[in-house]
Amino acid sequence: MYMASTEERVRSLVADNLEVDGKSLGSSVDLEASLVDLGVSSMDIVSFGKVVAQEFNVTFTREHCPTLNNLRELIEFLDSQAA
Amino acid sequence: MSLNSHAERWWTPFKTINSVDVIHVDLLPSAKGETAAIAWLDAQEQARRRRFPYAGPRRRFSLCRAALRAVICDQLQCKNEQLTFALTQHGKPFALLDGEPAAISFNVSHSGKHGLVALAPKGRLGVDVEERDSRRNLEFLVDTVLSKREQAEFASTQGADRLHFFYKLWTIKEALIKAHGKGFSLDATRIETPLAMIQGMRGGVLQLPQMPAVTWHIEDLGTKWFAAALASEARASAILKD
Repeated sequence: MYMASTEERVRSLVADNLEVDGKSLGSSVDLEASLVDLGVSSMDIVSFGKVVAQEFNVTFTREHCPTLNNLRELIEFLDSQAA
Repeated sequence: MSLNSHAERWWTPFKTINSVDVIHVDLLPSAKGETAAIAWLDAQEQARRRRFPYAGPRRRFSLCRAALRAVICDQLQCKNEQLTFALTQHGKPFALLDGEPAAISFNVSHSGKHGLVALAPKGRLGVDVEERDSRRNLEFLVDTVLSKREQAEFASTQGADRLHFFYKLWTIKEALIKAHGKGFSLDATRIETPLAMIQGMRGGVLQLPQMPAVTWHIEDLGTKWFAAALASEARASAILKD
């Protein structure tokens, strides 16, 4: 059975949950860019963190929160939790 | 070029609260305004501007940063070229005048068509503005943002009141977190908005559990167009006066 990678799952969550000026960021989002530089609001970042936590069954402590701003770091964090 | 001599300003005084000036920045698309704003940014800011891949965030950054430069230069009676910005270790920007920390505190926020710049001669301060979005699933965020008591108040509200209530408390907490200046290290659910403000008062004071020795002045700056709040470090004399 095909198992989506962490990156694919995160890209899918981004496409479904994050938008800028009413337009979805889409699944081809640049993983190296910070969400703030992409123009995502702080409320959307907090909401996205909760979506990711539910999807991957992880808990973000306050120390982990800056990780949410960079999708590449987020994927690495999620992979480290699954290892 | 003097910033404040520019004929078409996109920023206007909004309010003054406890020696903190709050400026409203009009962020509607304006090619003329954006072109003027870009010309006022230094090389570091131009580079940051280019990193924004989308036009909206790029415009909001340029217009807010140029307005910030204008009002700081006005307050400090300096030239735009003398002004640069640096970041604290927690990512909060501060102003440098001829390379030395300037005697001014400021904070900036923007959302959609609206930006706010808050500035004062001293003391930590934070400002937040949010356009209210009725499409947002507020219930999803409630337990991440509100205290138990605030959650109970939220549950007793309906419709537009619910939207206004949530955004009011969000902006108060965001302004406080920004004023505190240490990013995500504050837990929003542990910040208790004063009951009088929940019940409609525009201003109040509070202490953060992590910093009980510091009193913060908070002010609801919301209008029918946006939710907004200001948090500023209160001086002892100002607290007694309240």
